[in-house]
Amino acid sequence: MAEGTSTRSGLGRALIAVYAVFALSATARSGVQLATKASEAPVAYTLSAVAGLVYIAATLGLAEVGPAPRRLAWAAVLFELVGVLTVGTLTVLDPALFPDATVWSAYGQGYGYLPLVLPFLGLAWLLHTRDRVS
Amino acid sequence: MIEPLQTSLLVASLLLAVVAGVYVALDRGPDNAVVALAGLLELGVIAQAVIGIAQVAGDDDVASPVTFVGYLLAAVLVLPLGVLWSLAERSRGATAVLIVAAVTVAFLVLRVVQLHG
Repeated sequence: MAEGTSTRSGLGRALIAVYAVFALSATARSGVQLATKASEAPVAYTLSAVAGLVYIAATLGLAEVGPAPRRLAWAAVLFELVGVLTVGTLTVLDPALFPDATVWSAYGQGYGYLPLVLPFLGLAWLLHTRDRVS
Repeated sequence: MIEPLQTSLLVASLLLAVVAGVYVALDRGPDNAVVALAGLLELGVIAQAVIGIAQVAGDDDVASPVTFVGYLLAAVLVLPLGVLWSLAERSRGATAVLIVAAVTVAFLVLRVVQLHG
């Protein structure tokens, strides 16, 4: 590993793989939902699409694609953390708010709470790889 | 769909996850043996996609065909992408990518079974 500060080497590769799976599944799922039954739960499906975009951004940032990947990764992972906490709390307090589930509903319960754990792993990894710079 | 194939797919993908997990524990990068195992699993996944799509195209009753075919095709893509992403670096983290890919395949096969049932 020549580049010690890289976010895409070592365990980062596995983390990026998990992010890529979520990016694909959230985007594809919301795409199908918006295309076939958008009117049933527009807010939930739009939110799923947003979550998908955030996962795509995090994947690209961590994989060091684009001009400022680390900043992109930070922004995406923080957005993801706020998103899963906000949507998770709202859906637990008022389940009727979103008629259909999103990735972030009930803190990602439908996905084994991985959506809740993932942003913390992402933040930890960004901090860990930053430490190696200094 | 055909259950024996999918049962063996589940067993094979979990086996791949376990083998990759042992590699990670031993601090080994991915080698030909794991990749060969992934290749075998991929053959089964392709067979599942071919049979599944043929069944949808035929008169088989599937709850939501678009999602069903989506899962079938996604399962075909996961392993090649995972192996490519893994082989670009020979480290323990790279082998862990194969665990992610294997678990994802297992999950997708389960969803395919659910949708068909």
